[in-house]
Amino acid sequence: MGKKVKKQKSDEATKRWVSGMRDAFSEALYEIICEDERVILITSDTGAVCHDLIKANFPGRYINVGIAEQNMVGVAAGLAMTGYIVYIYAIVPFVTMRCYEQIRVDLCCMGHLPVTAVGVGAGFDYNTLGPTHHGTEDLSLMRTLPGMTVLSPSDSVMAAAFARISYELPGPKYIRLDRTGLPLIYDKDEADFSAGLTHLREGKDVCIVATGRMVKRALSVAEELAGKSVSVSVVDLYRLKPLNRELLLEILGKSARIATIEEHFITGGIGSLVAELMAENCVYLPLKRFGIPDDFCREYGPRDYLHSLYKLDLQSVARAVSDWVKG
Amino acid sequence: MKKYSPELINKLTDKARLLRCHVVEMIARAESGHPGGSLSAADMIAALFFHKLRHDPLKPDWADRDRMLFSKGHAAPLWYAALGECGYFPKSEFARLRECGSILQGHPDMLKTPGVNMSSGSLGQGLSIANGMALAGRIDGKDYRVYVLLGDGEIQEGQIWEAAMAAGHYSLDNLCAVLDFNGLQIDGRLQDVMNPEPIPEKWRAFGWNVIEIDGHDMSQILAAYDDAGEVKGMPTIVIGKTVKGKGVSFMEHAIGFHGVAPTEEECKQALEELGCG
Repeated sequence: MGKKVKKQKSDEATKRWVSGMRDAFSEALYEIICEDERVILITSDTGAVCHDLIKANFPGRYINVGIAEQNMVGVAAGLAMTGYIVYIYAIVPFVTMRCYEQIRVDLCCMGHLPVTAVGVGAGFDYNTLGPTHHGTEDLSLMRTLPGMTVLSPSDSVMAAAFARISYELPGPKYIRLDRTGLPLIYDKDEADFSAGLTHLREGKDVCIVATGRMVKRALSVAEELAGKSVSVSVVDLYRLKPLNRELLLEILGKSARIATIEEHFITGGIGSLVAELMAENCVYLPLKRFGIPDDFCREYGPRDYLHSLYKLDLQSVARAVSDWVKG
Repeated sequence: MKKYSPELINKLTDKARLLRCHVVEMIARAESGHPGGSLSAADMIAALFFHKLRHDPLKPDWADRDRMLFSKGHAAPLWYAALGECGYFPKSEFARLRECGSILQGHPDMLKTPGVNMSSGSLGQGLSIANGMALAGRIDGKDYRVYVLLGDGEIQEGQIWEAAMAAGHYSLDNLCAVLDFNGLQIDGRLQDVMNPEPIPEKWRAFGWNVIEIDGHDMSQILAAYDDAGEVKGMPTIVIGKTVKGKGVSFMEHAIGFHGVAPTEEECKQALEELGCG
């Protein structure tokens, strides 16, 4: 251990960095693996080309355990108990629910091991693969686990930063990624994600708390409604746990109404989280939660189409918020 | 078969007897626990702790130690008995099994008990963790070995076979699983509840070196562990045919003593039978 390997950065990977969350994260993880021999990546046969660099240059620290996620978590725990910092990677449902009890017992209960579960495919990211591949309850499940840090990045800059943050933080972590590219919200060189949330926009009528891909949606809603004399505040809640309660409460208190939006079941996600926080702290403001209702999505089609089915598209949200404010 | 000195055999047999005494006594005092599966595995565990394992009770976290894991966590009293006998903690702790604030809890907790290398209680997970430790040993170029005790009912868990496949695939010859094949689980005989047989053939098919022994015959046990250490390129499973409740007449083959503590009277009789009354 301790030997440093010269960093190799491919131009192609650099190009990908600015487009996709998953690629940005993987590129940053590659840099960490170059720096620290204690870091290991385990996958369960996910076919992610974004790991090619790691696979090619560090075959000994890239482990494909096959399609066996329960074993993957145990192997990660065993490695972590022997001094390694481990990343496990799979599509959201398989790296969270398929091996949930293993995460609970092996990673959390056993002593908060330094293992980061990286789930790709937030919400309807795998839009054409049906409900088996939708990531719609992961935030709820992971935030209930003691000791678990839950991270939900909203763009590629943040996804890359979370690779470094998860490496430096002790204990188990869960990171929920999108596969695809997003318009960037943050500037690469100025972003600081230590607060757990960012107040991206001020507004007095409604404060929209959003996470993941829905942060951009909330910003678009705010933009759209600005022209209609509705003043919308936007919070990017990228760290669900541990939650920065004080800062979130302070921001919530500045608006007349609170809304939440997430590509996740309404039950248990950030809508629940904000409701709990408000109730416990006597924040008596109207609350509206946008998310996926209590049913599985059996429709197949473009992600935007799936959003429109649940009225999570820009026009539906903007209209709902506007109608709400204007009474 | 290898020959072992009568002194060694006698010493280990007596250690196993002593472990059984501790198991019965601590479970009776706690008025709850799982005696059957602790008593059945006592000989195979005694051979490891008092002869085979490279470990240092004064340095439970020694990086080069052999790792002993109990995947069947309900055999915790046996683990505690062995650790206490070795000196990981004072034997006076035995009397506090399952008490509030005790370092000895109903299931093994690595955060509470010195020498417990892995928490367990939820069945089927230990072999995967053993895989991780064995892989780490290989990557680090260390020569420690990883031993993991499995229950025979436990191998009904699907994860065991994911882990078995991985250990075979990665040729983890620094890994040795020990199967306590006592044939009984809480609801009855394995073959009636959910038959895992043929067990040796299954492990062979997953790429394992399989050694079948009488799990109460100390010479066979020692030879199995020695042979396991010499086999290269594949993990070994020692399948020890055992008797649930071994050593206490009324507990032997008794499904009722899977998870029920002996009464004060039963405890007294058991300790007499074990020669430590």
